[in-house]
Amino acid sequence: MARTPRIETLLQKMRSQKRYASIEQARIITRSYQQNEDAPRILQRALALKAALEEIGIAIEPEERIVGNRTAGVRYGVVFPESGSNWVDREFENLPTRLQDRFEVHPEDIEIFRREIHPYWQGKSLEDVLRARYGEEFDALGMVVKVNQKDHAQGHICPDCDAWLKLGPAGLLKQARQGEAQSDGEKQLFYRAVAITMEGAIAFMRRYADLAACMALECPDDAQNLRMVAQNCEHLAERPAQSFHEALQSLWFLFVILQMESNASSFSPGRLDRILWPWYEADVKAGRLDAEDALELIECLWLKFNQIVYMRNAHSAKYFAGFPIGFNVALGGVDDEGRDFSNALSFLMLQAQKDLGLPQPNLSVRLHEGIGDELLKEAIRVVAKGSGMPQFFNDRAVIPALEALGVSEKDARNYAIVGCVELTTQGNNLGWSDAAMFNMNKVLELTLNGGRCLLTGRQLAPDYGDLTTYDTFEALEAAFQHHLDDFMDRMMAACEVVERAHQELLPSPFLSSVIRDCMERGVDVTAGGAHYNFSGIQMIQVANLADSLEAVKKLVYDEKRISRQELLDALRADFVGYDRLRAMLLNRAPKYGNDVDAVDSLGVKWAEYFKRRLGSFTNLRGGPCHTGMYTVSAHVPMGENVGASPDGRKARQPLADGGMSPVYGRDIEGPTAVLKSVSKLDRTLTSNGGLLNMKFLPSFFATESGIDKFACFLRTLVDLEIPHIQFNVVRREDLIEAQRNPEKYQSLTVRVAGYTAYFVELARELQNEIIARTSYDDI
Amino acid sequence: MTTSEHTGRIFDVRRFSTHDGGGIRTTVFFKGCPLRCAWCHNPEGIDFGRRPLWFAGKCIGCGSCAEAARFGGVRRTETGIAVDPAAEEDWDAILDACPTGALRWDSRDVRVDDLMELIRRDMPFYAHGGGGATLSGGDPLMQADFARELLLRCREEGVHTAIETELHAPEEAVQAVLPLVDLIYADLKLLDGGLHRHWTGVGNERILSNLEALLTGPLSERLILRTPLIPEITATEENLRAIAAWLARRNSAVRWELLNYNPLAAAKYPLVGREYSLQENLPRFSAEQMEAFAELARSAGVKNVFFE
Repeated sequence: MARTPRIETLLQKMRSQKRYASIEQARIITRSYQQNEDAPRILQRALALKAALEEIGIAIEPEERIVGNRTAGVRYGVVFPESGSNWVDREFENLPTRLQDRFEVHPEDIEIFRREIHPYWQGKSLEDVLRARYGEEFDALGMVVKVNQKDHAQGHICPDCDAWLKLGPAGLLKQARQGEAQSDGEKQLFYRAVAITMEGAIAFMRRYADLAACMALECPDDAQNLRMVAQNCEHLAERPAQSFHEALQSLWFLFVILQMESNASSFSPGRLDRILWPWYEADVKAGRLDAEDALELIECLWLKFNQIVYMRNAHSAKYFAGFPIGFNVALGGVDDEGRDFSNALSFLMLQAQKDLGLPQPNLSVRLHEGIGDELLKEAIRVVAKGSGMPQFFNDRAVIPALEALGVSEKDARNYAIVGCVELTTQGNNLGWSDAAMFNMNKVLELTLNGGRCLLTGRQLAPDYGDLTTYDTFEALEAAFQHHLDDFMDRMMAACEVVERAHQELLPSPFLSSVIRDCMERGVDVTAGGAHYNFSGIQMIQVANLADSLEAVKKLVYDEKRISRQELLDALRADFVGYDRLRAMLLNRAPKYGNDVDAVDSLGVKWAEYFKRRLGSFTNLRGGPCHTGMYTVSAHVPMGENVGASPDGRKARQPLADGGMSPVYGRDIEGPTAVLKSVSKLDRTLTSNGGLLNMKFLPSFFATESGIDKFACFLRTLVDLEIPHIQFNVVRREDLIEAQRNPEKYQSLTVRVAGYTAYFVELARELQNEIIARTSYDDI
Repeated sequence: MTTSEHTGRIFDVRRFSTHDGGGIRTTVFFKGCPLRCAWCHNPEGIDFGRRPLWFAGKCIGCGSCAEAARFGGVRRTETGIAVDPAAEEDWDAILDACPTGALRWDSRDVRVDDLMELIRRDMPFYAHGGGGATLSGGDPLMQADFARELLLRCREEGVHTAIETELHAPEEAVQAVLPLVDLIYADLKLLDGGLHRHWTGVGNERILSNLEALLTGPLSERLILRTPLIPEITATEENLRAIAAWLARRNSAVRWELLNYNPLAAAKYPLVGREYSLQENLPRFSAEQMEAFAELARSAGVKNVFFE
């Protein structure tokens, strides 16, 4: 199926628009706060959101069947002062020229920002409050632990789409008013705040209805469509969705408003083939809808998912490059009883990805033993198109891992993905999945070098000895454990400080209305109102850690081919003058990813240790802490923090990509050996999400036989209980050519990490890194 | 379970093989081949003898190998090193001194147990789509005893097996090995005995006699005959018609696969000190050309002709 003329037109219009930084909502929010100086924070937040919903500029393209955005322009970067505006102040002028994720700027906006907005928020924003409270410690930890959510709201949430579709803002408003009438104190404030946001939501929908109705008079060619849009918006302001078309529009409004409240990455729809099925089925049965029309509507929504981007500061953009916004849609998987679930929508949504090949939504397919060949092979054919999507998740790994965290069987079976690869239950969970990233390789460096940073010479940790003082490998490991414990304690204290500030400063009543238990309890989601309350910490990076430890164990302690002093000298010299020694480290010790137990087990051992110890902490909302193994694009900047390492990696070079993947180029035994190595990591290590990257050349998928083999490969992945895998299917030459002639490759998308981005929009070093990743030819 | 101290010589084990049999396979490459095909893909597998190989791309030029050599087995040159495999050296010590693995043996001697341990590693993958182990080479029939033991072990452990063979072997070797294999790929390159001798170094009498027995016996159902299409040598109308007619008289239902020419083989030759004697830049055949060859073969009476 090809794109319809309508989709083609909308796609062209979207691509031709420039990305701007926008201060429009920031002005509205600031004014609203000034008018409500004495109100409790939760009401200030609700009133500011309502004001934005009532006043923000809106626009509709005459061809659009699904409408709405958080700014009148598409792909605008929204300045959001409640979270932090210092970085905007520092970086505003650089936005059009910075290395990663550029935005155009209107010069007058900079002036207004500095005159009206920024001064008001000084000392009040999340960023400023945290800096005042804990800035020194964040800095001191920075080389080892990156604590997140310090200058933006927490996203990574899968709202209760079912409830939103069934109630709509009018139904939720009614619930909130009832709650307000029956409660007092904090709870009453919470319900009042929810009601205010729902009034805003209703007004927002009506504004779109009015605009569409006006445009219908002016655009005779599209009048019919615009009248339909107007009618849908008007209905949704009053009552729940009653058709498939309305349901899609309703969902899109939900995500726009969530973004306007929080301006955060990754509010994810979840299992849309399941959520939307009742509407699709009813319309098809009644003869109101056919597959072709449904596909165009889905593609209209898919376009919308690409029209919101998230503007990060320059540092953060390096970690999460390419505007990942994380509208993650999960298809297939098991139903509540554990049986295969898929339907016509699963296939239509894959088809939409095939037709459009855009970076959003972040499309995921859930694998399990009972998945039909038809869906599996269709998913592989979409992968073969080269957009890196869909990515695959494994029910057989994920469901038991979530259950081990205390999630009920029913909720675990109904899991979805938020953002890149983070796992969540649907509609009842504040997973805080991106709480922090912990650089285990930096800790090993400090262990080997007496607590001192190899790059700067600064003392970052106590001196528990260095490589020359550890007489046995066990002594080295004991010191490593000591350092790990210290940094974990400090990390968890820092995470608690961050969470507390979010509770105080960024209560989120609109979001809370679509997270189960918040409305029942009358408690905001940031204060622990959700049914599940997790915190996820990423372990960075098991591949380098295993390779380094095995090289030291084998070559230094067991075989004594390298002396301890010599290795420490070589690391301090970044291997300059130590070519032979480095070659030995690289080639004479086995590497993770080749199915060699000696090295794999070292990675497993320390990941297990970290997970076990993390499990002893409870977060501020009273929920469990658990581990993930994914880096997004953080393996590049996190590598910049680490000096030369015993795996033969030079100082500042990237760490392994992905999270569970081997170091690129070191997996010389092929893809099955990679899966075997990865499978040694227990599934409970990645209950917050794991990421395995692999790159195949398109020739592998050129034949049906290749697709069959790939299906075998994925079915084995299910058996091996590996939580995730994703594939880049591009040729090296394509990428090199795209670097040379970016203008010709605007549409080339690649899998960066847990998400897909436009290759030409990535910084050059990240492009180089993607090119360098292992690729398997058709063997 | 049988155990054995018997060793065989192999030059590679490649996991995730996706050709030469169903599913995902582990292919064991046996060292040594009775044929000397001018277009051989695996020239490193032709000689049974063991020798050190130097991979220039991996070498950092540290000179450790030359330092360890006592009798001129390795010398440094302007472009890297020169290796004289015939020199009486302690080669294991020299190769051990190489920090990169750029200088290494072209093959290794392994016990059946060790090989099984490797094959078993991908058992989870064999479970889907009929994967398993493939014996390739070289020609596994050159080490028939070893091949037989390996196949018996695979059978005991439920591993599907395939073999690629030239069939240029004594009848006893064929009898000892092939009945143990689930899927047999046998090559027939040229029907004309003289041309066969010219291009492969041996006549085809033995091959044809072994093949005839296979085609007319109980193993015929497990057989896939293969002909590599080498431009102007095997890929001629005359040759394909002749093979087809010969086959049609013995078993017209045999599965016959035509293999497209692989021009990449040439790249491997300098590594093993051989010269690639064919014209290097001949392209692969197009899908249309392949179909034309297949049609030609079908018209000569073999029904089941295919190509990938």
